[in-house]
Amino acid sequence: MKLRLWVSALLLITIVAISGCRKNAEAPKADPLLSAYDTELDWTDAQKIIPLSYQQSQGKRIFYQQCVWCHADATPAGPSNRSNLTPVPPLLNDGATLNAESDEFMQNIITLGGSALGKSAMMPPYGKMLSSEEIRSAIAFTRVVAQPPYQPPGRPASQYSAK
Amino acid sequence: MSAEDMGQLTYRTRLVFAVSSLAFLAVLAISPFKDFRREWKQYKRSYLRFAQTRPDTKKLLADYRPDIDQIWLPGMNIVDRCTTCHQGITQASLSDNAVPQPFRAHPPIPHNVRDWGCTVCHRGQGPATEVAEAHESTLAWEQPILPTRFIQASCGTCHQSDLPQTPQLTRGRELLAELNCQGCHRLPGIECPAMLGPDLTNIGTKVSREWIYKWLREPRTVVDKDGNVAVNGYETEEEPRMPKFRLIETELRALSGYLSVQKARAVAPYKIDARVVTAWSKNPELISQGELRFRQMFCSTCHSLAVTRAGETKLIGGNIGPELTKVGSKVNPDWLVTWLRDPQGYLPHTKMPRYGWSDEDLYKVTQYITTKLTDSDLLSGIPQLGQPTEQEVQLGHRLFLEKGCASCHAIEGLSPQKDFGPDLSALGGKNASELEFGAAKIPHNLVSYIQAKLQDPASVNPAARMPQYNWNQADLDAITTALLSMKGAPPTSALQNLVVPRKEVAFRPTGAFAEVYERYKCYTCHKFNGYGGALAPELTYEGSRAQRQWLVDFLKNPQTLRPTLILRMPQFNMSDRDAATLADYMTMVMQHPAANPAAVDARQFTPAMAALGKQLYEVKFQCQSCHTIGGTGGYVGPNLNNAGGWLTPAWIGAWLRNPHGLIPDTIEPRRNFTEDEVRALTAYLMTLRQSIKPQKTANSAGPHAAAQGAGQ
Repeated sequence: MKLRLWVSALLLITIVAISGCRKNAEAPKADPLLSAYDTELDWTDAQKIIPLSYQQSQGKRIFYQQCVWCHADATPAGPSNRSNLTPVPPLLNDGATLNAESDEFMQNIITLGGSALGKSAMMPPYGKMLSSEEIRSAIAFTRVVAQPPYQPPGRPASQYSAK
Repeated sequence: MSAEDMGQLTYRTRLVFAVSSLAFLAVLAISPFKDFRREWKQYKRSYLRFAQTRPDTKKLLADYRPDIDQIWLPGMNIVDRCTTCHQGITQASLSDNAVPQPFRAHPPIPHNVRDWGCTVCHRGQGPATEVAEAHESTLAWEQPILPTRFIQASCGTCHQSDLPQTPQLTRGRELLAELNCQGCHRLPGIECPAMLGPDLTNIGTKVSREWIYKWLREPRTVVDKDGNVAVNGYETEEEPRMPKFRLIETELRALSGYLSVQKARAVAPYKIDARVVTAWSKNPELISQGELRFRQMFCSTCHSLAVTRAGETKLIGGNIGPELTKVGSKVNPDWLVTWLRDPQGYLPHTKMPRYGWSDEDLYKVTQYITTKLTDSDLLSGIPQLGQPTEQEVQLGHRLFLEKGCASCHAIEGLSPQKDFGPDLSALGGKNASELEFGAAKIPHNLVSYIQAKLQDPASVNPAARMPQYNWNQADLDAITTALLSMKGAPPTSALQNLVVPRKEVAFRPTGAFAEVYERYKCYTCHKFNGYGGALAPELTYEGSRAQRQWLVDFLKNPQTLRPTLILRMPQFNMSDRDAATLADYMTMVMQHPAANPAAVDARQFTPAMAALGKQLYEVKFQCQSCHTIGGTGGYVGPNLNNAGGWLTPAWIGAWLRNPHGLIPDTIEPRRNFTEDEVRALTAYLMTLRQSIKPQKTANSAGPHAAAQGAGQ
């Protein structure tokens, strides 16, 4: 009689313990390249692949469509137009020049063109062709390929973790 | 136990009761504790604490509820509880990368998450409330989340027409079309050309049995460790369209035997004028003159040749036609002459235009091809096959159908098996349990399956008939994306309404223009109303853009307008009549409504306006950053040296007002010109004239790196 009580109590506890202790499955470890929307080879180091976020990948598309002709040394259609221009436009990854410019300045010069901001009139305005979202994504792409790497100003990175 | 002891509480019974009550209490407490510890509740609380650390706490917690949050869209069959944990998904202030997941905001996309849900694009299990079950496949729920690398597949499920934002998907669809996947598979929305592989009805008149044997054994010769493909030993970025079939010796002999007897129409050899032959055959310049002519005619716009520079050999030239480095050792010389004179007589659907040859040019070029573009070792290592036996021919005939050759290559009188390969129109929606993994050691999910099958069809099914392709990683991913996008017909009518169908494009001219257009195969490189190739500028509105006289001059002697362009329009040796037919049709029919010639009177342009225009061009807008006038300026746009002799004033005006209204994908940005500025710039451009000089010898040009136009 007692024995049976004990046994059933023990059984119950074990069942509960087992079901309670089931290991919580961990979230899958994401491969940074598999979870990237697109990738870009580092301009200075062909071995390094930079994973791009959604916004940066949209920026890459716009860069290779519109900007590459003057802001890169090689283009999909052969020689670059960069050498024809005075002043010579900065390369997209020229962090030494571009990291100092704020996102607002970059947004303005792309939207309004060089002459509106006292720079070369050879930089045409894209405000009537690209949406402000597209221009923002082109800037995001500039930031991710910059050498030396771009450090965003302002609030330090949050140390808060979700768990 | 005695009777009086019954019912008495001994110490031991009390103990038993006490312990079991405690145990029960503990058991009962487990349930609420487990409930409290549930994954999604932890994320809920975590988000509360996280929101406290942000400056805009109030806004972040405006919609906060401690329960499960779900997006329910009955019409689309969507129950997505993802926002239970991904609570900041619509909070713009949580968009930067420093925000920990799962609270980060979704990057801005054209669709609102509240209207579309999450699983419609990302897949995974919407109703699940545990991280693992939502994201990964379990036995009960089989759709894992789609790796973001292939996310463009989800756009393609509804958007069957190409979007500018999804280059990977577009590339994948192009590959499916280019590699003739439709020969064997049903692939909805992929363009199917009139001719998949070359028609082989007369192949026996063109090449030898040995060459067929070699081609079947190894259409591409080498693949290096980076997966770069070499055709006939030369490195190229392009995969040959003919894939490698796994054929054994008897099959190679049988198929080559069967094909070598396909001689439905004998070649009628064309006799080149004897005077030309006697005049040139002893001339030491013959071969170099032939090569010069080959270059001047810009054969390299469509065909590549191996070129060695600085010790590195590469294929250089276009990929519309086959690579020609060793073609002289491949084809029968009589066939070559007949082919060059009338390609469409041999292959009705070929992309090769019919040139107007003089006997002299024909002799020089064919001599160059058969003498210089050769390799005596091409067929070394191939056994002497001789005439095929009757059994070989019969076996070859059977294999031609069984191996699926007939799905891409027509032979007169032979009807291919219908639906040779599996229907892939719903492949992208398949669950893992519907796929055959065989002995392949790969994760059991759809993405791994597609990639394994594409890389090595035999790895998942040793009996697969699918041939072997070689992919680089980018192309493999692109084609995987395109296949994942094909989820079949939507199950409900509400979803069917969401599909943006692909636009049917066809340009069907009639009359004399159609005849010339077909003969020169204009659509191989140019687009007309969305139909045709993308190598050269779109000509849909060419009649509005160019002046008639310029068109005639250009067609007779094509000159490039873009200094950096290497792939140029071939010299067709067009007759006056053909050029006039094309120019007349374009001027009359191919007009854009926004460029109205009646609205602009060129007589109103005064020298003062032109002077102002020059000032605007050079100083205010600095157009020379992209366009060349004289010897200076940029390479991005066309040169404007002859703008006045080339463009119509109506087109220039409409273009300056809004270039994208005329050519939507041009890279010229739309500017904010005033009407006065538009008039002044037009007046200036119309003053620029330069006569088209006779073409310079292209000796120095040679085939250079493949290059496409820098937009329009």
